[in-house]
Amino acid sequence: MKKIIVITALSLALLGSLLLATPARKMIQIKGSDTMVNLVQILAEEYMGKTSGAAIAVLGGGSGTGITGLINQTCDIADHSREWKPKEIDQAWEKGVTPKFFVVAVDGLSIIVNDKNPIEQLTIAQVGALYRGDIKNWKALGDYQKPVSLYGRQSNSGTYVFMQEFVLGNKNYSADMKEMNGNAQIIEGVLQDEGAVGYVGVGYLYDEKNQIRKGIKVLRISKEPNGTGYLPTDKTAVDSGAYPISRPLFMATNGKPKADVAQFLTWIVGPEGQAIVEREGFFTIGEGKYKAANDKSFK
Amino acid sequence: MRRSLRSIRDVVLGLMMLPMVTLMSLMGQTTTPPPQTFSATIYLDYRYFLTNAGPVTLKPASDTSAYLNNQFVFRRAYFTYENKISDNLKFRFRIDADNTANVTGVTLTGDPVAGVSLSKDDKLRPFVKHIYLEYTNFIVPKMVLNVGMIETLTFKPAEDRWGLRSVAKTLVDGYQDITKQSISATSADIGATLKYSISKYFRLAAGIYNGGGYSHLETDQYKEVELQAQFTPVPGFSVVGYYDYEHKLPVASLPAEIKPAAATYKVDAFFEMVKNLVIGGEWFTFKADLNQTGGERFNRGGWSAFGRYAVKPDKFSLFARYDSYQPNSLDRDQDLDLVIAGFDWAPYHASWRLQPNVWFYNYKNGARYNANATKNSDVVFNMTFFLSF
Repeated sequence: MKKIIVITALSLALLGSLLLATPARKMIQIKGSDTMVNLVQILAEEYMGKTSGAAIAVLGGGSGTGITGLINQTCDIADHSREWKPKEIDQAWEKGVTPKFFVVAVDGLSIIVNDKNPIEQLTIAQVGALYRGDIKNWKALGDYQKPVSLYGRQSNSGTYVFMQEFVLGNKNYSADMKEMNGNAQIIEGVLQDEGAVGYVGVGYLYDEKNQIRKGIKVLRISKEPNGTGYLPTDKTAVDSGAYPISRPLFMATNGKPKADVAQFLTWIVGPEGQAIVEREGFFTIGEGKYKAANDKSFK
Repeated sequence: MRRSLRSIRDVVLGLMMLPMVTLMSLMGQTTTPPPQTFSATIYLDYRYFLTNAGPVTLKPASDTSAYLNNQFVFRRAYFTYENKISDNLKFRFRIDADNTANVTGVTLTGDPVAGVSLSKDDKLRPFVKHIYLEYTNFIVPKMVLNVGMIETLTFKPAEDRWGLRSVAKTLVDGYQDITKQSISATSADIGATLKYSISKYFRLAAGIYNGGGYSHLETDQYKEVELQAQFTPVPGFSVVGYYDYEHKLPVASLPAEIKPAAATYKVDAFFEMVKNLVIGGEWFTFKADLNQTGGERFNRGGWSAFGRYAVKPDKFSLFARYDSYQPNSLDRDQDLDLVIAGFDWAPYHASWRLQPNVWFYNYKNGARYNANATKNSDVVFNMTFFLSF
């Protein structure tokens, strides 16, 4: 009996010390998209700087990681650069999670090549053919004799899934594509490889002087073979849909956001947050459909 | 009844064969380079028997007899290799290791042979637990096919919600360990399963296996069939119905007109509507024609209720569980129940956890399990160490 009392007392003491050690202030946990991680980190830092007592932790890992985190309730906000898959919606339902989605920025997904490559413009179909492995040499697209080197993301990335759905026509990527950990690694690969083609979020195109990084070239993309090509850096073209590879960037919460989370999200989609979105090279959500969808999710 | 069961079996077999042919053709497609992952999970206990008069923790009368009142136990070690061959196709190879029933030698005595003695040790030895292909979005979106040495459907819903396999197996999985009575349940077997999420409200699954589990080859002409349906009418509340069936070889002790079979009926319910709280329940009954006492069939069954609350997700959780076991519906003196309670703490990282827990066994008649027991209870403390990397 004494043993039981001693062990129970020790266990309770341990439990008590753990609970006492738990910090009183709740930190907002954010996980997800690598495309968004730098942007959200900067948003969080600026918000914490101006909001007394705010505490926010931001982690990447890919859109799938963030969505899984929200489903398993290990984070408060999931960043994702693609829509949720039906399987994820089902899993969330099963676990009592009812996601609310907020568009916080718009990304013109950029197709980049090494600046030695003379190609200036591709159609969306040609980009798909490159990434499916149907075109093996740049000679097939212009006056450049070089084997094509494909740089892309890993399959847990929202960008990987977005490209596959909207550019590759839901076909498989070429087995030769190099699957990189993040946008920065893709940029690095394209800089080093004269035959390279890569896709990155528009926010990753710029250097610290807010200029397009030296050594890479951003391609114009057209919808049709003889159509006008547009750059992902052209806000008007992205907003109007003329630039064909753009996408909304989302933050998702479990149910209607409350307290600190609601305040943070309201700030992001408001003028201050959107100014930072623009400063970091992404596009603002504007006053149209995305704002209307956000207003609905807040209610 | 049997004819309809045979029809179900034939339909399931047909469904399995068609996809397998398609699978082989799809495997030849060009795909992305396969991302590979390696992971390991280990459970280690320091176990202390807090009582010494119950059926399990009975202290021997003589001081010179060995008395196992505390021990370190390496319960399980898993090593898993997964290869994502394409967006839809995955391969898994898992090695499991435990330290039960390790026969290391056989000695024959006499000429001609008059006796056999076995030598045995308790080394942690590996065996293959999983070796299968998984095809997602198979034929239609949200349909999943598994072929090979695969997880059965029996335990998974409860095990996912309980989430503390390192502390204790779930009710049906642990039944044989606790009661020492077989209910023909296994966590893995050779065969195929097909799972389909019709909508967020409704999921169906069917499986066909050898029926021998991962420890045995097929031993007869019969296959085991499993069927499962999950209904989730509102977010966070699910009910899962499960049924399995297998013919057994006739035995001389049964009347010739009885074609023996074994079947398990199981219902689970899970409540996950409150953030960080999981409450679950399992009920099952196992009916086997070979289980007879005095010409009358007896059933085995039980129920379980558990709760788990994450005070701080990935860091600190509290858990508790109640199991009720009825090993023989004709002899309720064999009934026993079990209460498990403890907490799960990850002091530094989710991959390294301490899970102190206490098990309270209560026997209706402890002497049915150990004639020398003077109490109808046992209390065991475990300090479980969980490692995953």
